[in-house]
Amino acid sequence: MLRTFAYVRPGSVSEALKQLEERGARIHAGGTDLLGCLRDGVFDAQKVVSLVKLEELRGITTGADGELRIGALTTIAEIAAHPAVVEKFGALAQAASVVASPQLRNQGTLGGNLCQRPRCWYFRGDYACTRKGGEMCYAVGGENQYHCIFGGGACVIVHPSDTAPALIALDAKVRLIGPKGARVIPLEQFYVLPEKDATRETVLEPGEMVMGVLVPASAAGQKSGYRKVRARGSWDFATAGLAHAVTMKAGKVADARLVLSGVAPAPWRLPAVEKLIIGQKLDAKLITRAAAAAVAGAKPLEHNAYKVPLVHGLVEEVLGGIPAA
Amino acid sequence: MKDEELYFWNGPLPETQAPAPAPAPEPWGETKVVGKPVTRIDAYDRVSGSAQYPSDVILPDMLHAAILSCPHAHAMVKKVDTSAAEKMPGVRAILKDGDVGTNVPWFAGRGGFSSRLFDAHCRYEGDEVAVVAADTIYQAWDAVRAIKVEYEVLPQVTSVEEAMKPGAPAVRDGGNVIPPGQPYTRGDVDAGFKASDVVLELTCTTPCELHNPMELHGCVAKWDGPRLTIWESTQGVYAVQTGVARALNIPLANIRVIGHYMGGGFGAKLSPGKYSVLASVLARKTGRPVRLFLSREQVCLSMGNRPANTITLKAGAKKDGTLVALQSKVVGSGGAYSDGGTGSVDYVIRELYACPNVRCENQAIYTHAGPERPFRAPGHPQGAWALEIMLDHLAARLGIDPIALRLRNITLVSQTRNGNPKYTSTGFADCLKKGADTFGWAEARGRKPAASHLRRGVGVAGGMWQGGGGSPPSTAIVKLFADGSANLNMGASDIGCGTKTWGAQIVAEELGVPLERISIEHADTGTTQFATPSGGSKTVPTESPAIRSAAIEVKQQLFAMAAEQLKLPAADLELRGAEVVSKTDATKKVAIGQIQAFGRRGVIVGIGYRLPNPPGSAVNPFGVQFAEVEVNTKTGEIKVLRFLAAHDSGRILNEKMCRNQVFGGVTMGIGFGLTEDRVMDDKQLGKLLTVNLHDYKMPTALDAPADKTMLFVDPQDHGFSNTGAKGIGEPATIPTAPAIANAVFHATGLRLTDAPMSPARVLRAMAAQKPAPAGQKRGE
Amino acid sequence: MDHEDKDKPAAATGGVSRRGFITSVGSGAIGVAAAGALVKGAPAEAQTETVKAGEVSTITLTVNGRRQKLLVEARWSLLYVLRDHLGLTGTKVGCERGECGACTVLIDGQARYACMTLAVEADGHEITTVEGLMTGEELGPTQKAFAEEDAFQCGYCTPGQVMAAEGLLRATPSPTLDQIRQGMAGNICRCGTYAHIFKAVSKAADLKRQGR
Repeated sequence: MLRTFAYVRPGSVSEALKQLEERGARIHAGGTDLLGCLRDGVFDAQKVVSLVKLEELRGITTGADGELRIGALTTIAEIAAHPAVVEKFGALAQAASVVASPQLRNQGTLGGNLCQRPRCWYFRGDYACTRKGGEMCYAVGGENQYHCIFGGGACVIVHPSDTAPALIALDAKVRLIGPKGARVIPLEQFYVLPEKDATRETVLEPGEMVMGVLVPASAAGQKSGYRKVRARGSWDFATAGLAHAVTMKAGKVADARLVLSGVAPAPWRLPAVEKLIIGQKLDAKLITRAAAAAVAGAKPLEHNAYKVPLVHGLVEEVLGGIPAA
Repeated sequence: MKDEELYFWNGPLPETQAPAPAPAPEPWGETKVVGKPVTRIDAYDRVSGSAQYPSDVILPDMLHAAILSCPHAHAMVKKVDTSAAEKMPGVRAILKDGDVGTNVPWFAGRGGFSSRLFDAHCRYEGDEVAVVAADTIYQAWDAVRAIKVEYEVLPQVTSVEEAMKPGAPAVRDGGNVIPPGQPYTRGDVDAGFKASDVVLELTCTTPCELHNPMELHGCVAKWDGPRLTIWESTQGVYAVQTGVARALNIPLANIRVIGHYMGGGFGAKLSPGKYSVLASVLARKTGRPVRLFLSREQVCLSMGNRPANTITLKAGAKKDGTLVALQSKVVGSGGAYSDGGTGSVDYVIRELYACPNVRCENQAIYTHAGPERPFRAPGHPQGAWALEIMLDHLAARLGIDPIALRLRNITLVSQTRNGNPKYTSTGFADCLKKGADTFGWAEARGRKPAASHLRRGVGVAGGMWQGGGGSPPSTAIVKLFADGSANLNMGASDIGCGTKTWGAQIVAEELGVPLERISIEHADTGTTQFATPSGGSKTVPTESPAIRSAAIEVKQQLFAMAAEQLKLPAADLELRGAEVVSKTDATKKVAIGQIQAFGRRGVIVGIGYRLPNPPGSAVNPFGVQFAEVEVNTKTGEIKVLRFLAAHDSGRILNEKMCRNQVFGGVTMGIGFGLTEDRVMDDKQLGKLLTVNLHDYKMPTALDAPADKTMLFVDPQDHGFSNTGAKGIGEPATIPTAPAIANAVFHATGLRLTDAPMSPARVLRAMAAQKPAPAGQKRGE
Repeated sequence: MDHEDKDKPAAATGGVSRRGFITSVGSGAIGVAAAGALVKGAPAEAQTETVKAGEVSTITLTVNGRRQKLLVEARWSLLYVLRDHLGLTGTKVGCERGECGACTVLIDGQARYACMTLAVEADGHEITTVEGLMTGEELGPTQKAFAEEDAFQCGYCTPGQVMAAEGLLRATPSPTLDQIRQGMAGNICRCGTYAHIFKAVSKAADLKRQGR
C-alpha cells in the first residue's frame, strides 16, 4: 500500500509548474506509472501534483496544415481511436492500440507514456542501481534477457514506450514547459542515452513537463505502422518493436524513417537502414541488406543475443510488408 | 509419490475401509440430470459480486495485518526493532520471534529439520520476520516499513547447478544434495538399449512456475471466548483446522474454518499458511478480529511453485515403434524448505506407455528459494514434456506417424503398481483415434508447407494422471425435508470445478428433487463432515459416489416408510417426481408430503461413505491433446491457432462445466509451454525478479486460442465406483505443452526441448539450427 | 496509540439482501453518505489548496447512481474506498498494481483498474461496480450471459471480467471475436475460462440488443 503524500490539483499550467518546483513533487497525469513506481519504491513522492484540471492539455486537433496536435493528457485509448490518427498516422494508432491493456489505455496519457520510467526488474526492484544513483548496474552481470543491444553503457535498460518510436518515425516534436519557459524540440532529441546521463531517460529539466506533441502532416503516399513483438499478447512491453513511416513514389522509397523499440535505452532510429533504402526498390535482396544494416554494431549482453536475429527478422517482415505502390 | 502424498495430507493414511457398506447400487444408465450441462447453482452469487470470498469478510472492529518478509535470499535476523512501528497511528499489535504464541514449528523435514513461524535463520527471500496488525491496511504497511531489522546477509545459492557444486553455500546442515532414494527400475535398461533398433537421448528443461491464483492467500480470524473462527481462502478447511489446532494447542471442536468460496488454488492452498496461525494469535492478543492477506508480491515469493526440472531422457525402440527401454534422470529443487524438487516427474515415463525396461533416477536439491507446493498435476507436465517430445522424436526418426507410434505402445495394466493390476478402464487409445479423427490429424499432417515465413504445423501429446480414481475417506449427508426439498452436506471445497453443482445434480438424479430445491452446505468444519483437501483431481471420484450413496439411503428410508403406508413391498416402489409410486400399479401412490411416518420424523437423513475401489484395481484418467500452431520464423512468435482435448475421465457429471475446466487446463498448459517462467537473480543477490504479475507472465485472453474443442471419451467404467466418474482437473493440463512443442517441430523442424518456448528461445533455436527453407519438406 | 476517526461505510446498492449479515456491518451508518447524496450538482471544488500528507479531504463519487460524499486520504485507492468504506466487495483485490484486472470498474462508462486510481482522482466522476449492473435482485444482461455460458470457475476474476465486458459493449455493441479478445485482454483468468468468456460477451451483446 502506498506511503503517504501531500496532494494538490493546480488550476493552471503555471500553477502546476510552481508546485513542481518543490522537492519530491511528482506529476500525476494518468497515474499508471506513478503509482507503480511508488509501490515499488523507485522514488518517493512528497507531494503528488495532479494535472486533472488542466483541460488545455487534453485533446487532439488537426491544424490547417494537417499538423496533428496532441495534448499531453490525451489518453492512449483516445489516440488509438481518433479518426485522424487512424487514417493518417497509422504508426501512432497502432502503437497506441498495443500499449499495456484496455483499462490502462483508458487511464494512461501520452505524456505519461513518453516519460515513463523503465521496466528493468532491477530498477523496479529493491536494488540500489546506477539509474537510481547507486553504484552498479545489476543487469550487466545478471538476468539481462530483456535488456538492450544498442546504446547501453553504465546502464543497459530499454526504453519501454511504444508511442515514442512511432512518433519519432512520424517526425514528431514535443512541447515542453518549465520554469525557464517553453521549448519545442524534436522528439528524437527528447531522450538521453546512458553515456550522457545514466540517471534519467529524458532531457526534462527539474520542474519541466510535457505539454503535448506536434506531428507534421504525413506526406502524400506515406504509409506508417508499428509492429510489436512481445512474450504475451497483452500487457507486455516490447521484446522488440519497429515503427516505420515510409513514402513510396513510383515504386521506390522516397522517404523512410525507421525506429526500433525494446532494444536501446532510447527509441532507436536506424539512419543507416534509411540511407540504404531511400531511392531504391524494396526487393528481397535490398531488404536482407537492410536487415543486416539494422543489426550492425549490436552489442548483445549475455542473455539477449536473440534480439539480434529478432531485429533482423522484424526489419525483414516490416519492409517486406510495404506495398510497392 | 506415495499414496499419502497423493492426498496432500500430512496426517495418517486415509482409511481404506469404510463403515457399514451398503449393497452397491446399479450403475446409472441414461440419466436425467447427471451429465447435463446445467447452469451452476451458484452462478448468481459469482456474477453478481455477492459471493463472499474470505478476502471479502468485513467484521466489526476488524484489524488489518501485514507481514514483514525477509528481503534477502539468505540471512540471519540479528535484531528486530519494532519501537518506531509500535508508536505509529492505528497500530494495535506486532509479533516477532520470541513473542507469545509464535513458538510454532513449521516445515519439519528429514534429519529432524524444523523451522519455526519466525525463524531467525531466513533461508529465502520471503521468509517471514514479523507481522503488524493495525486499524487500516495502509497503517499496517506503514508500520511494517518502520520496523528496523538488522540482518547478517549470508552467501546465497538459488541456482540448482551451483547448489550441487561442492563448496556451495549450505542451505541446510547436511548439504544441498538430498540423498536420493533408490532409482525405480524394472527389467534391464542396458540390455534394452542394446536390443533397440534406435536409441535417442534428449535433455529437456521445464520452468519453475508460480501458481498465482487470483485470490491472494490469507484469512480472517475471530475469537469468541475459547472458540476460533477462521475464514480462509483454502482448498482444505479441515487441513487448516488441523494445522491451526495443533499450532495453538486447542481442540478441533473449538476451531471452525469456513471456506465456502475461494478464488483459486491449483495446489497452492492445500494446507494452512503461517498467516492462519499469525492472524489467530494476533486476534487473541488484541481481542479483535484480524484480517491477514498477503500481497501479490508475497504470494509470488512464498506461496509455492512447481519446481523447474532438468530431465534427461533416453529411449530405445524397435523399428516398428515398439518401446524397449526408457531411462530418465530428473533434477530439481523444492527450495529451502521442501524435499519435493522432483516429485512424480517420472510417473508418466514409468506408466503411460508399455515398456519392459525402465530406470528412473531423481535428484532433489535445496536452494535458497521459495518452497515447492503441489501445482496442478505435480511432476506430470514436466514428465510429459520430456516423454511426449521423445515419442515425437522417435516417430520422426522411425518415419512412423506419431499417433500410430503411441497406439503401438498401449498398456492395459499399470506397470508400476504391485501386481500390475488392470486398469478398470483406459480410454487412451480411443482418445488418440477419435481425437485424431475429430481434429483432422491426417489431413493436417499431410498439408504442404506454405512458402512463407509463417509456418503452420500440428502436434499431439498424451498423458495420464497418477490420481483421479478416488478413494475413502468421504462422508456425505443428504437430508430430505418434509416438503420434498433437500440438502446436501459435504466437507469438500469448490475450488472452481463446480463441486456444489454436480453434487446437487446427483441428489436431483436419485431423488427427483429439482436443483433449485436443493441447498448445499460444504467446506465448513463447523457444519460438515471431514474431507481431505480438494485437489489432486480427487473430488469428483471421491465425493460423487458418497453423495450418491447418501441419496440412495434417503430413498431407501423413504420407500420403507411409504411401503408401510401403502402396504406394498419396498422393492415395488419408485420415485416419480414428488410421489412414491408402485412400479406395477400406478394407481397405488403417495405424495412425499403425505407419508405419515415422514411427517412425524420431520426429516430423512441419509449418510453415504466412499467405499474403497475394488482391491487390486487401477483407476486412472487419460487424455490426448492436439494443437495447431503458426510459427513466425522471423520473430520466433508462436501462435496457437486451435486446440483439441480428448479425455477419458469416465462419466462426466456436467459437460458444460467440465469443458470449461479442461479449456482452463489447456490455458495453464499454454502458460507452461509458452510464457511462464520464474526468474531469480542467481548470480547476484538471489532475489526473485518475477515478483509481480507483469514479469511473471500468465496467459491472457490473447494467448488462449478461441478455437478449442473438447471430446469426451467415456469408457463406461462401472468397475470402480457407483458413479464411474474419474478426475479431470489435472489430466487437462498434462499434455498441453508437448502437444504445442510437437506442432512447432512439424511446422519448422525445430526440436525445442526447453519450456517456455518464448520468442527468445525459438530465435535461439533457429540460430543454432537453420529451419527448412520455405517450400521444402518440413520436419517429419 | 493514536486512533484516527474513520469514515463510516455507507449502504451498498443492489443485491444487499443476498449477502451475509456480517458484511452489512456498518451499513446502518447511512448518515454521512446519504446526507451527502442530497448535495445535488456540486462538482469537484476548484482546489489549489494542498492537502497535507495524512490529512483527509472531501470527495464526491457517484457510485452505482448514488452520490457519496467521502473523506479520504489522497493515497487511498478507489478500490480501497469502494471495498473498505462503501462495503462494495464485489470488486476484487488481485495485485494492487494494474496487472490482473480483478478490480475493474467503470469510470464514466470506461473500464478502469480501481487499484490504479486514487480515490481523489475519481472525484466528481461516475463509478459503476458489478453491484451496479443489477436491477434490484435481477442480474443485468452481461451478468446473465456469464451465468448462462458458464464463463467462470472459481469466480474471483469474474466481477472484473464482467465489468470489462460491460465497458467493451458500451463502446462497441456488436464486437467481433477479435474485438472481444482485445477488449478482454486486460483481465487475467488463472482458471483459464477465456473460451467461455468470449462466448459470454457475444451472448451479452445479443441480450443487450434484445433489450434484456
